[in-house]
Amino acid sequence: MEIQVLFFGVLAEVTKTAFKHYRGVTSFGELKMRVGDDFPEIAHYNFRIAVNNELVNGDPLLKDGDEVAYMPPFAGG
Amino acid sequence: MSHKILVNGPITQEIVSSIIAKLAEKKNAGGHSVFIGQVRADDFGARRVKAIEYSAYENMVEAEAGKIIKSLSEEFNDVKSIDILHSTGIVMAGEISLLVIVSAGHRHHAISACSKAVEMIKASLPVWKKEIYEDNSAGWKENSLA
Repeated sequence: MEIQVLFFGVLAEVTKTAFKHYRGVTSFGELKMRVGDDFPEIAHYNFRIAVNNELVNGDPLLKDGDEVAYMPPFAGG
Repeated sequence: MSHKILVNGPITQEIVSSIIAKLAEKKNAGGHSVFIGQVRADDFGARRVKAIEYSAYENMVEAEAGKIIKSLSEEFNDVKSIDILHSTGIVMAGEISLLVIVSAGHRHHAISACSKAVEMIKASLPVWKKEIYEDNSAGWKENSLA
């Protein structure tokens, strides 16, 4: 699967990128490990993950073309 | 509500005025509750906030705002419309970064739904803010839901 990973807020700052494209992804868990290996600094921050604009918990099924967003706590308003 | 939620830069007096002017078209409403959020010049001793730089996950902001509007329209059946505008980019202290207007047949639902909309916006819109201080240093800020 090809997955687009997005980083927001402080996570975009510490990873120095707003997004990264991952190819050959086999599962959500495997993607998280690859993201963690590429950007080990994100382990120091709180974040939630959304898949295609929906917050997810656990280990959701991904499909080709999905967008996975790493989001620190919200601060709107 | 037909406009986009996100506005690049501050929500200007012109934007606020044009939305207020359009309320006259909602002839089935008997009241409009308005919340205007502005950037506060918080003072942390040596560091005073001069601006906030907002960033957002645009697609999800639109989706979540749609859910907020749907949920409140179902909960408050007298509500006729809900408008939400939120800034992205730089907004200086004293400028407006959030506008919520709830129109309803009667005041109670307008006021209650507007208050709840603001809380839901703070809890669920994927927006982030970086405070920029007078000395040009900066820091990320999280919402307190208390």
